Amino acid sequence: MKIRTLEYFIKEAVGSIRHNGLMSLASVSTVALTLLILGMFLVMVLNLNHMAAALESQVQISVYLQDNLSEQEIAAVKQKISQLPGLKKIEYVSKDQALQRFREQLGEQQTILNDLGEENPLPNGFDVIVEHPDQVREVAQAVSNIKGVEKLRYEKEIVERLFTITRMIRTVGLIIIVFLALAAMFIISNTIRLTVFARRREIGIMKYVGATDWFIRWPFLLEGVMLGFLGAFIAVLLLTKFYSVFIGYVTESIAFMPILPSYPIVIYLGVFLLGVGMTIGALGSTISLRRFLHV
Amino acid sequence: MIEMIDVSKTYKNGVMALSDINITIPRGDFLFVVGSSGAGKSTLIKMIFREELPTSGSIIVNGKNIVHLKEWEVPYLRRNMGIVFQDFRLLPNKTVFENVAFALQVIEAPRREIQKKVPHVLEMVGLGDKGKVYPNQMSGGEQQRVAIARAIVNNPLLVIADEPTGNLDPDTSWEIMRIFEQINKAGTTMIVATHEKAIVDGMQKRVIAIEQGNIARDELKGVYGYED
Repeated sequence: MKIRTLEYFIKEAVGSIRHNGLMSLASVSTVALTLLILGMFLVMVLNLNHMAAALESQVQISVYLQDNLSEQEIAAVKQKISQLPGLKKIEYVSKDQALQRFREQLGEQQTILNDLGEENPLPNGFDVIVEHPDQVREVAQAVSNIKGVEKLRYEKEIVERLFTITRMIRTVGLIIIVFLALAAMFIISNTIRLTVFARRREIGIMKYVGATDWFIRWPFLLEGVMLGFLGAFIAVLLLTKFYSVFIGYVTESIAFMPILPSYPIVIYLGVFLLGVGMTIGALGSTISLRRFLHV
Repeated sequence: MIEMIDVSKTYKNGVMALSDINITIPRGDFLFVVGSSGAGKSTLIKMIFREELPTSGSIIVNGKNIVHLKEWEVPYLRRNMGIVFQDFRLLPNKTVFENVAFALQVIEAPRREIQKKVPHVLEMVGLGDKGKVYPNQMSGGEQQRVAIARAIVNNPLLVIADEPTGNLDPDTSWEIMRIFEQINKAGTTMIVATHEKAIVDGMQKRVIAIEQGNIARDELKGVYGYED
């Protein structure tokens, strides 16, 4: 394609976008809304997956002991746990150590612990580490039957719950996005239809003087792609802003939540959303060209 | 240059527009196609630039049967032809120069060629000084001359005019015919569909008369032949 031809296509497409005014605005807004929501769902799912992966690779079980066990009793529990198959390491964590760890996790927010005064509500316990993440459930089962064990916590449980949530979000998100994408395509195809109508005289002349079909189609296709791109661009800007605000909010309130940093996912998402936006635009104009541009 | 062999056309609604038409048009010919509206004149013309396909028969243009052209080949066929319509079909938001240049632009002709050819053809149709004027500031005759300039700017082998003087007064119609004659003298084949008796009779060219889908007459130096 010659540069001058490309210049002509772009001029035509930009001219049409301005000529269609409100319809162009409606197209861009719908694409922006669609992709903003798509982006938010993707951010959510990515973060949940990230959390699940972080948790899933954990081979640790935190065992909490009943209060008031004597040292011998604690030793006996340790003895019993140590004999379980698949065990790699077992380490005693006293109440004081547990509190200390908790303070470190909280970081700057540890002042909330000051209200406790001298009281330490945390129990004594063990950090039990197994050889392989797959053995966590089995070992946990066995440990919970040992006398003197109050309660135990292992991450796999949370992982399974996370997966359920992720699956639900994914399904709901997919349905909403398919509907919105269809709406966006419909609006774009209507916008392009207006352009086809406004340019029907030119199209007729072009056909008679021997312009190729693709030469006639390109400006329309480009118009759709540009509308999609503009919408996507707005969505990416908003998403970037929202996400950094969200990260700020999360780190301030839930210190130890494993959340993905903005960079690089915003870049990947941006490229992806721009691609999706342009595809929606191209499909929208193709629908119109098929139906209304008989070249 | 153009040969129609046993060409028939029946429209989907069952109307028979043309039946078993055989015509040979040599290069450099000047041909009138006459007949009352609905006789099949328009269909015949449209088949030459492949706006319509025949139901049966062959249409040979430049040694090629255009009935079998693929869709993507049609634009290249049309680049050898200039087409002029009754309603001029100019773009109102473009100047005269731009209207003519448009025909070259959309077939991706180099800018230099456009700059050279457009003034030349505008000169040929007597509009050398009107390049910057918009079509709605011109008379019908002038607008049709712009359309003719657009049709010939790509040096076509053939110019097809479908009722080119239908919207023009007699004097202006003669001006248009003079231009066609000039184009034809330079070697371009001219096909003009019309039902203006005075012009056909005055020009003394080959005349093909279509009646009810058949060729009623094919005469050199013919006349319109009937009243309508």
